[in-house]
Amino acid sequence: MAERKVQVAVDVGGTFTDLVALYADPHTGTQRVVTAKVDTTPPEFEKGVLQVLQKGGVPVGETALLIHGTTVVINAITERRGVKVGLITTEGFRDVLEIARGDRPDFFNLLYRKPPPFVPRYLRREVPGRMTYRGEERSPLDTNVLPGILEDFKKEGVEAVAVCLLHSYANPSHEERVVQEIRRLWPDVPVIASHEITREWREYERTSTTVLCAYVLPVAQRYLDRLGQGLADQGFGGQIYIMHSNGGVETLERTKRVPITMIESGPAGGFLGAAELGRLLGEPNILALDIGGTTAKCSLIVDGQVRIKTDYWIERDRKSSGYPIMVPVVDVVEIGNGGGSIAWVDDFGRLHVGPQSAGAQPGPAAYGRGGQDATTTDANLALGRINPNYFCGGEIEADMDAVNMALDRLSARLGMKREEVARGIIRLANNNMVNALKLVSVNRGYDPRDFTLMAFGGGGGMHAVALARELGMRKVIIPWAADVFSAFGMLMTDLRRDYLITQLISLDTPQAASRLSWLAESLTQTALEELKAEGVPLERARLLYFGRIRYENQEHTVEIPLPPPPYREDSLSQIAQTFHEAYEREYTYRLNAPLEFVTLHLVLGVAIDRLQVPRMPRTGRSLEEAMKGVRTVDFDLEGVQPAKIYDGHSLEPGMAFEGPAIVETKGTTVVVHPGCRAEVDDFGNLHIYL
Amino acid sequence: MSKLDFITLEVIQNSLQAISDEMFAAMRKTAMSPIIYEVLDMGTAVTDGHGNLATSGAGIPAFVAVLDKAVQRIIELNQGDIRPGDVFATNDPFFGGVTHLNDVVLAMPVFVEGELVAWTANIAHWNDVGGMVPGSMSNEAREIYQEGLRLPAVKIVDQGQPVRAVMEILRANTRLPDFLWGDLWAGVAAVRLGARRIQDLAAKYGKDVFVQALDHFMAYGEEVSRRALRELPKGKFYLEEEQDDGRIFKVTVEIRDDRFVIDLRDNPDQHEGPYNLCRDATLIACQLIFKNVTDPFSTVANAGTFRPLEVLTRPGSVFDAQPPAAFGFYYEVEIRVYDLIWRCLAPYLEDRLPAGHFASICGTVIGGPHPDTGRHFTIVEPELGGWGASRYSDGNSALFSGFHGETFNCPAEVAEARYGLYVEQLRLNDEPGGEGYFRGGKGIVLDYRVRSDGCFLTIGYTRSKQRPWALAGGREGSPNYVEIFRKDGRREVYSQVTALPLNRGDLIRIHTGNGGGYGDPRSRPREKVLEDLKNGYITSEIAREVYGLEV
Repeated sequence: MAERKVQVAVDVGGTFTDLVALYADPHTGTQRVVTAKVDTTPPEFEKGVLQVLQKGGVPVGETALLIHGTTVVINAITERRGVKVGLITTEGFRDVLEIARGDRPDFFNLLYRKPPPFVPRYLRREVPGRMTYRGEERSPLDTNVLPGILEDFKKEGVEAVAVCLLHSYANPSHEERVVQEIRRLWPDVPVIASHEITREWREYERTSTTVLCAYVLPVAQRYLDRLGQGLADQGFGGQIYIMHSNGGVETLERTKRVPITMIESGPAGGFLGAAELGRLLGEPNILALDIGGTTAKCSLIVDGQVRIKTDYWIERDRKSSGYPIMVPVVDVVEIGNGGGSIAWVDDFGRLHVGPQSAGAQPGPAAYGRGGQDATTTDANLALGRINPNYFCGGEIEADMDAVNMALDRLSARLGMKREEVARGIIRLANNNMVNALKLVSVNRGYDPRDFTLMAFGGGGGMHAVALARELGMRKVIIPWAADVFSAFGMLMTDLRRDYLITQLISLDTPQAASRLSWLAESLTQTALEELKAEGVPLERARLLYFGRIRYENQEHTVEIPLPPPPYREDSLSQIAQTFHEAYEREYTYRLNAPLEFVTLHLVLGVAIDRLQVPRMPRTGRSLEEAMKGVRTVDFDLEGVQPAKIYDGHSLEPGMAFEGPAIVETKGTTVVVHPGCRAEVDDFGNLHIYL
Repeated sequence: MSKLDFITLEVIQNSLQAISDEMFAAMRKTAMSPIIYEVLDMGTAVTDGHGNLATSGAGIPAFVAVLDKAVQRIIELNQGDIRPGDVFATNDPFFGGVTHLNDVVLAMPVFVEGELVAWTANIAHWNDVGGMVPGSMSNEAREIYQEGLRLPAVKIVDQGQPVRAVMEILRANTRLPDFLWGDLWAGVAAVRLGARRIQDLAAKYGKDVFVQALDHFMAYGEEVSRRALRELPKGKFYLEEEQDDGRIFKVTVEIRDDRFVIDLRDNPDQHEGPYNLCRDATLIACQLIFKNVTDPFSTVANAGTFRPLEVLTRPGSVFDAQPPAAFGFYYEVEIRVYDLIWRCLAPYLEDRLPAGHFASICGTVIGGPHPDTGRHFTIVEPELGGWGASRYSDGNSALFSGFHGETFNCPAEVAEARYGLYVEQLRLNDEPGGEGYFRGGKGIVLDYRVRSDGCFLTIGYTRSKQRPWALAGGREGSPNYVEIFRKDGRREVYSQVTALPLNRGDLIRIHTGNGGGYGDPRSRPREKVLEDLKNGYITSEIAREVYGLEV
């Protein structure tokens, strides 16, 4: 049997399924990387996975490690292809799921429609029994009602059961007993309880999370089984990990149990990749930007750490309150601005860009597939930033007549010249993205000038320098293989588990240190026991502690790093100091008020056996050989100038050049504005200095 | 100006919206009081140098057009004494405060190149500003003097330095000085943050372009409203409606091609108690319904938007109260006049207006000692209720009133920890009411079990006798009220009560109304009636007798 030295990441996105494969020759120690792309194949996503492995020529039998990111969960939810769920909850609270939080984001519209619950009222049933917020039993659980409820569920064709009881974050024993009873009475039905997903408070959010998890449980399990089978059929004998929303990978078995945690699987890969790559390059502070076809996403990385949040919502926007999913998700701001975003003029003659997207069908006007609307991509073509003769890596011939026609329709309405319209589209798109980048940096008390902008996705390189200039940043990095960077990022991740548990502790009381120590130590023990049960050597585990703390009486917490337990009086004053500083950075002032500890956040990291990012070989090629020619490019305020065009696939470490220049690869275009200097590093990443 | 500069104006306008939203988010996160950070009884705005509204932070629609009025009054009263770094405060309806003394406005002038080009401002409900009862709002108040400390548009920060005298007076005039302090600084930090962002913005594009962008934006707002007016049905519309207390409120709305006139002159004299509006508050209710019917789908609302609107009031009436009127429960009067105009127009504008909703803030104040910590707690919260059905669909269940937007209820798990009460149940209201071809949404039933002696309850609900109205032959909704079940089994019912004593074991049961129905219930499709029956939204008796379901 061949030595398994291939490691593969496959990222199933909304439009494309991307592959990055890393090969290492055990004899010479040399490595190489292969990338490939196929169309995503809903609803049988595993087919696309197998296709892209084939297209990339991956020897499945020799593959040691496969990391997989997938949209299967979010897709099942947004397309409502989950199963019929029955909910069991605390007496008096079955309507919580329908009542939700009472907000109306579209607040001038009196015909607003509240999003309907995923479980109708007749399938929401109650059990007597109460816990207090301190986790003490107030009235005993009565499971005698369960047989009747389950009979009704069976009759109604329920396919999965969700259990969420009040205060189960503080004490899950009632939920555990309900689950045991269900397993005894109806062994075949998939069942999930809220405490298995999260130990944070807020009953609506936890109920919604549990219900949505149950809703996708059978779907995700079937998918993962079919994928495993498909790979096994091709002789795969390596390790599979699934990319999770928290920016880490997780085993297949655990993912099957709580599949909701892969809700934002794909995007997480890119941002974690940005953090890891930054660490490798000695750039711990990164503003990461992923520009795709329909949206742009950004996230802040401080000291090499991605920020994790647990107040994630789907289908939430200015028009709808959406549904909460309380799982750890990389803190990302997403806006409806990507390469396919449509430029349009409202009834009052104002130009807008997005959030509607031309998608892949019909796509930008330049695709020549009948798209009538000008998109950001079309504007970039018109300005000469994208090469019409090397559009989509030469796979599509840019239909410049269609581009001009689309822009001229806007010109006529606005009374502006075609190129002015194109510049206007780019300026508005950039402004939208600048505001999003400010949301994750300036609004959180961080100065973007202290960060490096790392831009990826198909459109990242096109806008990055202009955005960095707008924000006063001095450096941009465009990673190698930027268009498949999310998949590439997955190959840099480790196993990661986030444990969050809500427990209120007044930090100025005498028992505070011992209560906090007990909380942290018992949570650590739980985490390590699980790991041990999976046969993982404990010395591989890395533990990081964070606390969500607030001033007493406030609601919003600030998360700060904690030293490892145990805690003593002096560790508490150190924690307080860190909190005051973090609070002041974010909100410009501090208070002389007592502190309250709300939630402990434990991050467990386990290194997995993976290859290092390979260095790119130097062939001694000259920069001139990588130059494809010169083209006139419109740089808006910096004027129309001749720019040198470089073939990105021919650039090598050590090469350096000045803007104005354009770097073209099959999947991306990098615009290097006048006055900037670009250098290629040892790994093939492009560093642009402003 | 070249054509491309219009793009620059657009960029400035987008950035101003982002600044208002950023101020809103910052204030929400740092406030001390749940009524600010959770109920979002707060707003933020940017105005031009004269106090004309440019943008406002997302949140409460009823607070969108509050702050321009306050800033205008601050300018008027502080002419010649407005300097960089200043922060002004007002809470008094007779001094630009608009609502009631609990709502404190903070405003900061923004100077660029020595010229006053903008103001940043916010308003937030402070839990206690003194007065005759905890929480400052009393049904017994007869004069504004009884409702707390009055801040008559005065400076609280002078060129960056807090004015110690005013600060100390503030702290001395509240039962909750720590909360007041936290909320005050959250507000000051927010206006300062907004001012800094505006200075950056104006510096980047130049003062003149910045000023031009504001003017241009307001002209756009006006154009949107004028076009929408042309689409509306024209004529004079009249309605009079009996209130819970027997008084009759009247309105005439005249819609013309270029004007939208709301005449409220023919209404009762000002209320002897705290159920009054100052003229500015009446104006806000009118502006909100105007926006609801002219341009409901966009969030653009600036000074230009409201230029075609004209509001007529009579000084000394309940909608234009004069000193020394009390205003504690102003919001119930404001939502009454809002609902009155909505009801007046609904039959003619069914494509944008549903039937009546529970139409009360249902403001609920519960206070007392926390049994686990011994500290004093205060709940100040509005309640969720049922919304009316429309020509297109059933009404929404359990939303906050039409005055609210991004307001969130308090989770039971949080409430139990924070307030030391037990939340015994939170469910949809099963009472009949709101039946129709499309049925009204459900109100709620919410139980708080009191856990310590010495607690109190203050409420001021309306739509307690006069129920949510129906459209096109639907049925009226159900009322808003509170039941008290004493430990010994006695039952009491209230819609307005101040500082009602409550002790350990007593139960507060809040009922909010179901919204009004639309169309004849007997024509509701049978499968929908059966589905409602299966879900327990209606009883078999209602199905049979009101919907005519034959079993």
